[in-house]
Amino acid sequence: MLIASLHSAPAALAAFPLPALAEPSPFPLAEKLLLAALILVSAWLFWRRFGIVLRRILAARKDADFHLFPLTRRIWDFFWEVLCQAKVIRERPLPGLAHAFVFWSFLAFALVTTNHIATGFGFGFLDPAGFFGSIYFLLAAVFAIACAISIAGLFFRRFVVRPVWLAHKDNTLSPESGVIAGLIFLLMATYLGAYLVPAGSAAALVLWWMHTLTLLSFLPLVPHTKHLHLILSPATIFLSRGGFSRIPPLADDEDFGLVTGKDITQLTALQVYSCVECGRCTEHCPAANTGKELNPREIILGLRGYLNEYGPASEEPLLGRYNSQQAAFQCTTCGSCEFQCPVGIEHLPVIVGLRRGAVNTGEWDDEHGGKLFLALERSGNALGMAHSEREKFLAREELPAFDGSQEYCLWLGCMGGYDPKGREIIRSFVQVMRFLGTSYGVLRREKCTGDPARRLGNDLVFQQLAENNLENLAQNKVKKIISICPHCVRTIAEDWKAYGTPPEIEHHSEFLARHQARLPKQPTTGTTVFHDPCYLGRYRNVYDEPRSVIAASSTLVEAERSRERSFCCGAGGGLAFLGEEQGARVSETRVEQLISTGATTIGAACPFCNTMFRDALASRTDNAPQLLDIAQIAAAALPKTSQPNTLQENP
Amino acid sequence: MKIIVAIKQVPERDARIRIDSSGKWIALDDIEFRMNESDAYALEEALLLREAHGGEVIVLSAGPERVGQTIREALAKGADRGIHILSDSLASYDALGVARLMAAAIRDEAADLILTGLQSDDLGLGQTGVILAELLAIPHSSLILKIEKTDTGIRVLRELEDGWFQQIEMPTPALLTIQSGNTRLRYATLMGIKKAKTKELRSVEAASLGVDAVPSVTLDSVALPSRQKSTQMLTGSPAEAAAKLVEKLQQEVRVL
Ligand code: SF4
Ligand code: SF4
Repeated sequence: MLIASLHSAPAALAAFPLPALAEPSPFPLAEKLLLAALILVSAWLFWRRFGIVLRRILAARKDADFHLFPLTRRIWDFFWEVLCQAKVIRERPLPGLAHAFVFWSFLAFALVTTNHIATGFGFGFLDPAGFFGSIYFLLAAVFAIACAISIAGLFFRRFVVRPVWLAHKDNTLSPESGVIAGLIFLLMATYLGAYLVPAGSAAALVLWWMHTLTLLSFLPLVPHTKHLHLILSPATIFLSRGGFSRIPPLADDEDFGLVTGKDITQLTALQVYSCVECGRCTEHCPAANTGKELNPREIILGLRGYLNEYGPASEEPLLGRYNSQQAAFQCTTCGSCEFQCPVGIEHLPVIVGLRRGAVNTGEWDDEHGGKLFLALERSGNALGMAHSEREKFLAREELPAFDGSQEYCLWLGCMGGYDPKGREIIRSFVQVMRFLGTSYGVLRREKCTGDPARRLGNDLVFQQLAENNLENLAQNKVKKIISICPHCVRTIAEDWKAYGTPPEIEHHSEFLARHQARLPKQPTTGTTVFHDPCYLGRYRNVYDEPRSVIAASSTLVEAERSRERSFCCGAGGGLAFLGEEQGARVSETRVEQLISTGATTIGAACPFCNTMFRDALASRTDNAPQLLDIAQIAAAALPKTSQPNTLQENP
Repeated sequence: MKIIVAIKQVPERDARIRIDSSGKWIALDDIEFRMNESDAYALEEALLLREAHGGEVIVLSAGPERVGQTIREALAKGADRGIHILSDSLASYDALGVARLMAAAIRDEAADLILTGLQSDDLGLGQTGVILAELLAIPHSSLILKIEKTDTGIRVLRELEDGWFQQIEMPTPALLTIQSGNTRLRYATLMGIKKAKTKELRSVEAASLGVDAVPSVTLDSVALPSRQKSTQMLTGSPAEAAAKLVEKLQQEVRVL
């Protein structure tokens, strides 16, 4: 309606003549037939490869737990991550914006290109001289300029600046990216050129055909290169599992995780074919950054290589072909890769899936890993300590038993119950709760949440621990849990859902931040750098609460990698319990980053980070900063009389 | 090689122990049970032998219904089948009685090797295995760390006191009691548990084995160890105090 009325406003046009796009004169039949033939060839070449990929994806096993609904999340993700390119821009602003302009130009060109081809057959529907046509073409021209500049910039970056993350394993760059960039540039140039020549001229004809031929060569290249993401990634983002680091339930009695090609699901297949090889995952990976074999991009590309060679029905093992067992077990499950990936690839279900395949079948043979599993089987805690040790600690600290009358069940976790430093955190947190008059109690028969077993892929031990704990909590009528350990929080809140309904749980940072105002004021001393634990930040989206606790008594400084870009301490994924690391220690690398802020204190909010940093700091001779949990920082504000328990831990 | 592993289900290591009303045993309600530790090593040895030389591993255990769970755990770790001597009153048998039940249950199996743990974590008698060998009239050796198959039988490594070891060549069939700690135990896996469900677990009523339940040894009473902490002050100059400390550590505590 609007367009029609604008069309009938030639007076306005005459007053502001817009530059018009030159179109060639109508084609003779032979030229139309040639065009039709070329389109068919291009489409056939496209399909010859794309059809194979599509069939591979569809032939993979169905995702047992996939639900299309509710759609709201999917639509939002699609809008935010695809249409707005939010993730692409946020983490790498300049190249991200360049990419976004190329993408938005493609959107703008959808109509232009359809009209372009239709013109060849004599059915052009946009009139370059018409009101809507002239404005739309001009708008497309603006995008074309932005796109041409952007693609030239991206080309320059990839082939001249050469960021290390874009290179392949063997340090080469894919030449086809250059070809594609050239084609996109040519597409834009041939479009813009049509503004500079008269309509119906020979030059207009040449430009028209160049544009068309570029387009028709571009199309078949797409499925042969990483530019397949043009087609697949919108679907990948729309169809993603959702949540963060979501480990899908095992489908049936025959499902042990990712063992062979048969275990690759459709979603995983779709994701591995969508990878655009941008290397953002690897850039942020603590393992790849400390000289380990693991490289999350190569994990994804490894699966793609496997699917290309063996297909989704193959019974060839996955590990030992394109992916290695060593790499799979170097992952700290920090989630940086999954968080960063701009095309919605979920690395953790893949990495944990490969581990499940190796552990659930007994293939993984590791001295420390085996010991950990036996400790969990036999003692119910990851440290393999006698349960009586915990009892003694409860008695010594006068921690009341949970009897159903208290508000909170204080979850000690393995670290809080058995580790000397973990116990100090509990002791401090209990002082704060006592000061606030919050009622709490401790379960006598608490067991490990199963976090290390879950992340290392031991479904048997994880299930036993989760069920045992859930039953215990239900018997004791626990409604609310509070924990000092982000791993416990995540595992109870999310992973246990596979076996029941866990009670509400929160991390002590959330509790402390909420009650901050009721704690005594203190003068601000020193500077503190807060290390975001992976399982509190990326996994739970809690960034500000621990900072507010610290800011009450100290000047907060930020490490270069902080908040959602925080660098792992090296403990997650069960790795705290495994042997020596390949390459540099992740913990030492992180401590270095934290020390370089010049802070006098490192603030931690996870007993595992704490233990890793403590060891890393112990090996330093310079005057290293002190290391405190936020509970200890908060407890320092309390009047000394409310700290009756100053007995030191027996070593 | 056909190997039988006799395992025992015992109270979890650091269970909170209470004496039951009879005063003759501990109260078993509210207690979790585990596979006896040295039996777990015996099972591991059997599985390693089977992996190297083929054959069959059969687990044998005696006790009430709940013992089935420990047998299934052994099946999940890789044993091929299980025999459960069902008895709700195993405590009324002594080591001789239990060994007689076991002998009766496995005599027809004609195994090449019978393995048991060195001793149980609860009673710690260390006799059942040895008596079982006598009842079956086969040679035995205790405190075994390593088993190798030879052309004529087996060669075993036996632990003696004070860091001494003994190498023994034995014919088969034979019975060995296994010392803990020499191998790395395998962890239970989901696949193992699933497979275990399809494995044979035969139950035999203890009463049907024709063994007299009248024990030749009777347990009179059990008591919790009384723990005493004592503090001694060592006086004198630092050198004298140190000398006294060394002497005490050598003579009384015997840790040096
Ligand atoms: S989760 Fe962390 S450690 Fe694991 S691959 Fe991803 S970035 Fe690397
Ligand atoms: S997995 Fe994602 S982040 Fe990693 S290279 Fe592929 S597209 Fe980039």
